[in-house]
Amino acid sequence: MRLTTLLERLLQLIPVLLGAATVVFLMTELTPGDPVEIMLGNEPHTPEQEAALRRDMGLDLPLFRRYLHFLGNVATADFGLSFFHRRPVAEVLLERLPATIELALAAIIVALAIAIPCGVLAALRRGTAVDRAASTIAVAGVAMPHFWLGLLLIMWLSVDLGWLPVAGRLGGEFDIPRVTGLLLVDTLLAGSPAAFGDALRHLALPALTLGTGLSALLMRVTRSSMVEVLRQDYVAFARAKGLSPRRVVLRHALRNALVPVVTVTAIDIGSLLGGSVVTEAIFGWPGVARLLVEGVAARNYPLVQAGVLLFAAIYIAVNFLADLLYTVLNPRIRL
Amino acid sequence: MPIARSLRRAAAAGLALLLALPPATGQELRVGLAADALTLDPHNFRDRVTQAVTLNIHDPLVMSIGGAIRPAIAESFRQIDERTYEAVIREGVTFHSGAPLTIDDVIWSFERMTRPGAIAGQTSPRGSLLGPLASVEAVGPRSVRFTLSSPWPVFPALLAVQPIGRRAFIEQVGPQGAATQTDGAGPFRLRAWNRGDSIQLERHPGYYGGPPDLPPAAGPAPVARATFRIVPETASRVAALTAGELEIAADLPVQAVRQLARNTRARVAAVNGTRTVFVSLNNARPPFNDLRVRQAANHALDRRLILERLLGGRATPVNGVLSPESFGASPDLPEYRHDPARARALLAEAGLAQGIDITLDATASDRETAEVLAQMLTATGIRTRVQVWEGAVLTPLWRDAARNDRQALLTGWGSGALDPVGIFVPTLRTRDRANTAGYSNAEVDRLLDAAGIEPDRERRAGLYRQAEAMVNREAPWIFLWVPQDLYGVSTRLRDWAPEPSAMIYLHRARIE
Repeated sequence: MRLTTLLERLLQLIPVLLGAATVVFLMTELTPGDPVEIMLGNEPHTPEQEAALRRDMGLDLPLFRRYLHFLGNVATADFGLSFFHRRPVAEVLLERLPATIELALAAIIVALAIAIPCGVLAALRRGTAVDRAASTIAVAGVAMPHFWLGLLLIMWLSVDLGWLPVAGRLGGEFDIPRVTGLLLVDTLLAGSPAAFGDALRHLALPALTLGTGLSALLMRVTRSSMVEVLRQDYVAFARAKGLSPRRVVLRHALRNALVPVVTVTAIDIGSLLGGSVVTEAIFGWPGVARLLVEGVAARNYPLVQAGVLLFAAIYIAVNFLADLLYTVLNPRIRL
Repeated sequence: MPIARSLRRAAAAGLALLLALPPATGQELRVGLAADALTLDPHNFRDRVTQAVTLNIHDPLVMSIGGAIRPAIAESFRQIDERTYEAVIREGVTFHSGAPLTIDDVIWSFERMTRPGAIAGQTSPRGSLLGPLASVEAVGPRSVRFTLSSPWPVFPALLAVQPIGRRAFIEQVGPQGAATQTDGAGPFRLRAWNRGDSIQLERHPGYYGGPPDLPPAAGPAPVARATFRIVPETASRVAALTAGELEIAADLPVQAVRQLARNTRARVAAVNGTRTVFVSLNNARPPFNDLRVRQAANHALDRRLILERLLGGRATPVNGVLSPESFGASPDLPEYRHDPARARALLAEAGLAQGIDITLDATASDRETAEVLAQMLTATGIRTRVQVWEGAVLTPLWRDAARNDRQALLTGWGSGALDPVGIFVPTLRTRDRANTAGYSNAEVDRLLDAAGIEPDRERRAGLYRQAEAMVNREAPWIFLWVPQDLYGVSTRLRDWAPEPSAMIYLHRARIE
């Protein structure tokens, strides 16, 4: 890719983020509800106490001044203190991000591990019982709400069989220094296979719940893309050359069939990195989605504003990376 | 096929790793909470979850246990007159770091909570929890005197939620450091805080033991480790309890009670709550500015049926404001019996024989109850539609009954101190901060004001009883109930009981 193209793409980020910043600012600030009031709760308080809190939170300024202040924060990437945590917003957000990243990656791996083999198989056996079975499973995967599937898995695998833990990321018996925040990595860095196994066991149910839902669409995309590619001349040519069917499918057809799968996967990762409220709540997974939902309910403006901007930026970045990946998979594509 | 075989082996090994049981946990007491602490700074928070966690790391001067005030860091605590209290600090109390707790730490902690801007320019949100506290001063090497600007009978109960921090430590780490690091004098010290996931504590071996008059033996906590695990979804918290991953599950829903009744691993622990639930009727506007219509609404409900079916009997019906366990409660207030005919007659008397249409406002968590209430009201001619709101929007909407166009609000109000000052005054004194009904009665105001400064306990209780009898007659609300606070606990847990104040003290708890 040319350098100018890269610069162009980066420059495009500015209006997108500015737009997102303005929308999120107005949406949070104009929603009815007062964070000072929520914080003071039921107890009596004097007007002075209320005014002091309002000043602390910067809510005594008029809306326009707050907006300018907020744009300044965006420019310097410093969003001040989270109202209720009373710690820097960046710290509060970033300490929850690794859990979300770990779950997102695990869920994508689960989804791809289900979707690609099933999709390829369905394409190869098009119109047969295998194809129909795969389609049925795909529909079921989309239709099952995470809430239902998650609780079902907990009841079965955790409560009845006692195989996997219900909630959390790691058992309390392990003392693992948090280096990356990704526990599968940190436990290995700490040289503790037992802790690694425990982290994996904790990750299993949420990843399975989230991944199953995603796999359905990915499987459909893999299947139709594969059907399309198998019709191409170069596949017929590869077969005619006498290559083994496995080699034809894996080396020649699948690689080209994956381009649309990459697009869908990138969109999925983009939204997964925003966290999954339901899955995080069910499995007590300490990701960002729960944090932001709590933030919205409490009118924690700085936290919600910074969080939404962070995800907008991540979403754009992931899609950009996906564009780059196309060129690797199919050199005919140029950015 | 060697590759296939090795793949199979790898898969089998992976599966074995995945299913391997965790190593024995030893004496770890695990408590499931619906939300995480917001900060571990002992003086810079306001919410109840943070408070429940913090008060296992930091001890207060006195503790409220089973509704009674017990000496903790203060070895004695007494009221000198209606505006003055004195505490004597126990000798030999040490922080987790080993540093001794001094009178200076105590005075500084209160100053940090009450002086505007005391936390590096920030003002502690706890200031208003200390009400009219005017000064805290040393009156001897171990004696502290608290002076209030006006009498405030709930002061001892609120002292029980104020953690004492270590001045030298907090000044050294600064407000940012104090949000995540601790040096308290409570039974547990911080091992690790994995945000959103768990707060892991371990026993403070030098703990002085908390209130000495509480059985069993005082001393360091019996369990080596205590962990608060954050599991927001209720169904998962119950599942974790029944799977043996938790010893205590907080905020148990009524629906889980039946589930636990059949379980051999866990049981329900209940305590009468401190929150009165009621339907606030808009007394300032038609139709509920008419006493007969308010009484009709009270007669329309079959509270016993709702209590039994919807709340599993886990609530106490009330005919007024106060919980039966509150100071000044009246045990014999007349009840508005379920009487649809009487309700219709009262409506007809008010000239509303054809019935009325109203909206009942509620938050999402109360939707189910609101719908049941609406059904019963509708059956007697008060045709009720439920409107569900977000709490942050609903509260300001109901600030001023005379100025809003709402009719009814399903709500509640709690007073952890179980004193009328914390519930009767805010909800029913003219224009007070939670008087959503817009109720105003000069005689009730006079009685409440007189009771607020009455030093004699018996006379004070009498004033509240008079006021509550008037409120009962005038029915500004549909009187409902005081729900129990429910916890799921492991059958292996000993020496732990839920507190009416919603504190989760792990000081004495042990696992068998």
